[in-house]
Parts: sequence; structure tokens; C-alpha cells
Amino acid sequence: MSSRRLRWGLIGFVLVVAGLLGLNLGFGNQPILGLDLQGGVSVILQSTDEASADDLLVVQDLIRDELETLGIAEPDVRVEGSNIVVDLPGVKDQAQALEAVDVAGIVSLRPVLACQAGVTPNDIDEEALVGAQALITTDGLQTCVVGPPGGTGEVFERGSAEAQINQLTNQWIVAVDLRSEGQQRWNSLAAECYSGAETCPTRQLAIVLDDIIQSAPTVNQPSFSTGVEISGAFTEDEVRSLARVLNRGAFPVGVEAQRVETVSATAGADSLRAVFIAGAFGLIATLLFLIAYYRSIAIIVISGLAVWGALVFSLSALVSQSTNYALSLAGITGIIVAIGVTVDSYLVLFERLKDEVRSGRSPRNSGPRSFASTWRTIVSADLVSIFASAILFWLSVGSVKGFALYLGLTTLCDLVVCWFFTRPATILFTRRVAVEQGNILGLGGSK
Amino acid sequence: MSEQPGTHTAEIAASGARRLFLGQTSIDFFGRRIIGAIVSSILLLVTVVSLFAQGLNLGIDFEGGTSWDVPANVFTVADADEVLTASSIDTEGSRIQLRDSDGGAFVKVQVRAISDAQARELSGQFAEVAGVSVDEINVNVVSASWGSDITNKAVRALVIFLIVVAIFISIRFEWRMAVAAILAMIHDVVISVGLYSLFGFIVTPATVIAFLTILGYSLYDTIVVFDRVRENETRFAGVRVGYGDVINVSMNQVMMRSANTSISSILPVVSLLIIGAGVLGASTLSEFAIALLIGMLTGTYSSVFVAAPTLATLKIWSEAWKRDGVAHITGQDLRTLVLGGSVSRRARSGESTTDSASQISGSSSAASVLQHEPRPRKKRRR
Repeated sequence: MSSRRLRWGLIGFVLVVAGLLGLNLGFGNQPILGLDLQGGVSVILQSTDEASADDLLVVQDLIRDELETLGIAEPDVRVEGSNIVVDLPGVKDQAQALEAVDVAGIVSLRPVLACQAGVTPNDIDEEALVGAQALITTDGLQTCVVGPPGGTGEVFERGSAEAQINQLTNQWIVAVDLRSEGQQRWNSLAAECYSGAETCPTRQLAIVLDDIIQSAPTVNQPSFSTGVEISGAFTEDEVRSLARVLNRGAFPVGVEAQRVETVSATAGADSLRAVFIAGAFGLIATLLFLIAYYRSIAIIVISGLAVWGALVFSLSALVSQSTNYALSLAGITGIIVAIGVTVDSYLVLFERLKDEVRSGRSPRNSGPRSFASTWRTIVSADLVSIFASAILFWLSVGSVKGFALYLGLTTLCDLVVCWFFTRPATILFTRRVAVEQGNILGLGGSK
Repeated sequence: MSEQPGTHTAEIAASGARRLFLGQTSIDFFGRRIIGAIVSSILLLVTVVSLFAQGLNLGIDFEGGTSWDVPANVFTVADADEVLTASSIDTEGSRIQLRDSDGGAFVKVQVRAISDAQARELSGQFAEVAGVSVDEINVNVVSASWGSDITNKAVRALVIFLIVVAIFISIRFEWRMAVAAILAMIHDVVISVGLYSLFGFIVTPATVIAFLTILGYSLYDTIVVFDRVRENETRFAGVRVGYGDVINVSMNQVMMRSANTSISSILPVVSLLIIGAGVLGASTLSEFAIALLIGMLTGTYSSVFVAAPTLATLKIWSEAWKRDGVAHITGQDLRTLVLGGSVSRRARSGESTTDSASQISGSSSAASVLQHEPRPRKKRRR
């Protein structure tokens, strides 16, 4: 291949990488940091019963809505396998965030059998209740015995519950729409309670979430057409929280937290600083070693690593912006390990070059030959790394997934840089050396 | 321009380091494979004994439970103990440690699974005693099933990965290399786990990630070495050279590269360990760095001392490499092969390539091997 073509190819590639980096920097497009680096709350949820992929997506949307109504900015909620991962970077109020994500159960509708003030469920003999359960109310003032669930929050239209002021009574109420599929079920429950049947003697229907009675309104009409209004001596806060419970009630499956991790913002910043300083030291030490060992040809490694770094930065920025996989501590560690693997491609190449030159071949001739055999080695070895990251990405959850993504990304960058940068750079370099008959690789001139 | 193989011997450097640098070493790796076998056996034995005797120090991610990192300005380990006792928490299996970090010391409190309400209450109490806001305390809650869940997932990923890698290496190289590479990889992971057990390092998800990295790194390193072995294999295929000699030549040829790769991969990890974790005190980093360091060391070691001898043993059993009565090449002859073996015949176009097959008798000498016309490269890749 002519020097001219190689040179233009090299310049072109460097320009493309520089352009990508420039665009990213210009638009302030940086890799999004994981919450172990910027602080925040991470929760991994799992459904308590068998859940289809659709069910999980519904839960994911509901959790996102819930978090957004609470004013938590940019919640990152995603389904990974059979888990739902909620990442809340930068969240300061841990308690509030945890409560918001704490979506332990499904809202159920249960007829109230009897209520007593001033006792807790512990005071009531569970054995005596057949199919019924003693539950406490939200204010903790009374305990009611409720019958088996007659329906779930799924009878209500998703997200339709809202707090309103009744124009006539000037009281806070909750209005919620019935789904057409849920109407029949709701009405049969309502009719049962309205008539004061044996199964619902108190005429109250309890709205239960997480084994706590959120509200137990009295049913005052036997059937409802499109919507339901729940009224009572409510404060605005109570009404709003009840509306939220009803909106949340449409969870198709119950979920429970498997892992909750909170990292304070200072701890995150400390880790980030430590990994940066340590990474920089490690990189400089490696480069010094390579310069000491390989002398002038080390310029190819250094510039190659710079190009690789720019490419990794740009791609990380793009990937983390578009896929929600933030760059976590695990990901950065993966990148630091990748430095070693990337440097190795140069070592394999240079050692081969040394062999060829040492055995009497001219540098000009050795360059392309060494690259050809090195390329074969690198492709085999890098493909295994790419398989590893693809399989891990596919099968794992949470931080392992992020790590796999960045490991795969850096390995891919290694291959790209190796072909588009190292190949022309090495061939051109060895041609120059060949002309000058200079000292290459510390072996002395080849005569 | 052209050099006779013989001229190299005159230039052999006197010092070992210089010979290493110039690729003139002639270490009989294959002849000393028993040393590698002994070292690995001892390490594996220690691993098994340690795993049975004390097991692994599993973090809360695998056991389930709640942990807090409370800033230790005024807060002490005794305070933590007091709060736990006052809340009548079962301290069975709980762990309280004082740890240092860049942002100041903190007390790490871990307890077995408790309810969310209890956890929240304890957070408040810790904050009150420590005189900080609740936000300053890091809390981790892990359900008891989470650990087995991710372990199962990791094992499943591992099995699929092994199958894919075995198929890949079998196609690109051959099945014996796949067996040797995977054996070396398992060796590395087992020994890394063993050292974790021996020194009682805490196993966290970060450690699992690091072990997975080790796995990839070990395979990567072995494949780079095997690529050279395969190249020499075709070069020596037509001559009466034992497979052990092919391995020896390849190992000596890749030695400098292996040494340099280890140095340049390990430097960043050592920096992570010493500067990141040691000086700046980021404890998560040390979890990664220790496992990575161990893994990289064993990974480089196993490519040369486990994977290569295993491959040689498998090969010698095969029909194609049966070399009964062929002497093992060592010393100066091996050096000549190492030096000459890395260039094809064209580079030495000046030398006379008299027919060789007739010259090779019972024991092959290095010169006769080199003078043998290399078999033409196969078009089709195996």
C-alpha cells in the first residue's frame, strides 16, 4: 500500500475521532456517572410472583410515574431480566426516595367486618379469624378485621385518581375512574357492601396496601357507572396520598426490594477522585515503562492510547446518554483493565517487529508482516473478550451489566484503533526508520 | 543483509537480562513442567483446604442484611454496639468495623436481615448519635435471596460463556487448545477464590466482577500465547521435532511479550490498589484491585505453566505428534530454534536449503530442523 494512502487513512481516522470528541465536548455531552460515583439511591426489585415481561414494563412505568410525582428528577427505571432496577442518582433525601420505591404490594379491596379503636393487630387472635385478617389503619388509631380480597386496584383506570374539592360540600375528595373491565367486579363488591350482607356487615370497603388500610369508605350506592368518589373528613395531604395509593394500585404484580444501596454524594465524589488519580498514575507509570523499553517507537503506543482514550470517551458519552447505562465504578475499573489489554496489542506487535528486524529483515519489510500476524492474534484474543462481555451483558443485572458494556466497548475500540491507527502508523514509522537506518527498538541499526 | 542462523550464536548476549531483551533465551519450559505442576498443585491444595476450613468471607450481598456507613467524627464502634443492643437487634452475625477513607473515618455496621421499618429507625438513631443528618449515612439493604440469585445468574453466564469459548477456540484453533485454555482459566479463578478465602477478604459483587475480568484476561493471555504455538506448529510440522520442543520454542519467543504485558497491565491495577485504595482510601477500589491483581498474576503464570504443558500433553497423545525416540532439544540447539523459528525461510534466502529429510536420523539437531524446507502454508484454516 502506498505511503500516501496510508498517511491519508491515518489522518482521516484521527480527524474522525477528534471530530467525535470535539462534538461531544462542544455539546457538553459527557459520560453519565453511575450513582456510586455521584451519590444516590439504587434499588433492585423483583416480582413476588411469576410476572410476564409486560407486567414488568407496567410496573416500571408506574414506578417512574410515582417517582416523578414525588419530584425526583430523572429517575432511571428499567427492566433487566426478571428484575426492575431503579437508579436515582443525586437524590439527597434517602428516606423519601426509599419510600417512593417501596412498592411492596398490590392494592386490594377488602370488605370490612369489624373495627375497634385503640388496639393493634397484635392484640387480636389471628387463629379465630377464618380467611380474614386484622389490619391497622394508616393513622394507626384503629384496627379493622377485613375479609378476603374481593378485587385489586386494577379495577381503577390507571393514573386516573386525583384529589378534588367537592363544590357542594367544599370538602377534599378523591375521584377515580373505573376501567370498563373492572366495573363489574367493583359493582358486585359495592352491591355486597351496600346491602350490608354478612360478608360486609359494616358497609365499609377497605382499600389495603402493604397490609395497611389506606382508607375504608362507606359504600353509599349499590352501583357505579363510570367513576367513584371517596369523601370524608380528609385533609389535602390525606387525599393526595390516597389518590397516589389508588394510582399505584394498578400494579399487576407485587414487587419487593432485593437490594437497596445508598451512596452519599461525598462518598461518590471521593471514589471518583480516587479512581481518577489512581488511573492517571497507573497510566503514566505504564507509559514511562514503555518509553524506557521501546524508545522512539513508543510514540505509536502513546498516540494510539490517546486516540483510543478519545474514542472510548466519545462512545461512553454516547452510550450512557442514550441507554441509561451510567459509567459506574465497575465500568471505570473495566476501562483501567482495558488499558493493559490495549497496550498488549502493541506489545505483541513490537515484539514481533523486533523478531523480524533481529533476524535480518529490513524495518520497511518487517512493519506490514508483523502487523499481519499480530492482527490475527489480536482478533482471536479480543473476540473472546467481546464474547465474555456480550454474555455477561445479556445475563447479568445491575453493576455487572454496566461493567460488561464498558468492557465490550473498550475492546471494540481496541480493534478499531488497531486497524485504523496502529496499522498505518507502524507501517509508516518503519518506512521512515528504514530510510534513516536509525536505531529501532533499541536493537541498534540494522545494516 | 542475509544472515546465517549460525551467525546468531556468536552474538548471544552474556547477561540473562540482555538475552531476554534480545529474545535469545533458551529456557526448557517443557522439561521443567513438573515445577509448574507442583506449584499449581500446592496452590490448589491450599485453596481446597482453606475453602473447607474457613470458607469465604461473604459480604452482605450474599448473606442478606443491612449495612450502614456512619461518619466517625464522634461516633465509635462502641456507640454502634450500644444502638444495636438498645434496639434489641440480634447481633448474631453482625459486624462492626472502623474504616478509614479519604473523606474521613467511618464505622461500618452490618446486621443480618431486619425489617425495613427497623432499618429506617436504626438509620435515624445512628444519625442522632453521630450528630449528622440521615443523608450522610450510606445504607445498603439486601434481601437474603439476592446473593444466591446473582450467584445463579453468574454461574449460568459462566456455563454459556465456557461453551461459546470452547466452540470458538475449537474452530479458530483446535479442541485441544480449547481444553488447555479453559483448564488454565478455571485454575486461575479457583486460585483467586482460594486466596480470597485464605486471607479472608470480603467477597462483594465488585469481587465477582473482578473474578469475571480475571476469566477474560486469563483466556486472552492464553490465546495470545497459543497463537504463537500454532504458528510454530505449522513451521515444525514436517520435521521430527517433539511437541514439547514446539512449546519450548514458542514460550521462549513470547516470554518478553508476556513479561511486558504483565507489567503494563499490572501497573494500573497496582496504582489502583496503592494510590486509590491505600493513600486515598476508597475501599470499593481495593475490593476490585486485590482480585484483579491476583487474577492477572495467575493469568500470566497459567498461560505458560498450565495451559502450554497441558496442550503439549494432549498433543503428544495424539497420533500426529507421536515422536517416539526423538530426543528433547535443549540448550544451544533450542536457542537456535528460538532465534531461527520466528522468521520464515525467505528471510534467509542466501542460505543453502539442501534437502533435509535424509539428514534427519534418530535425534534431530537444531540445524537440520532449520534447514528443512517448511511445509507450504495451508490455504484453508483449521
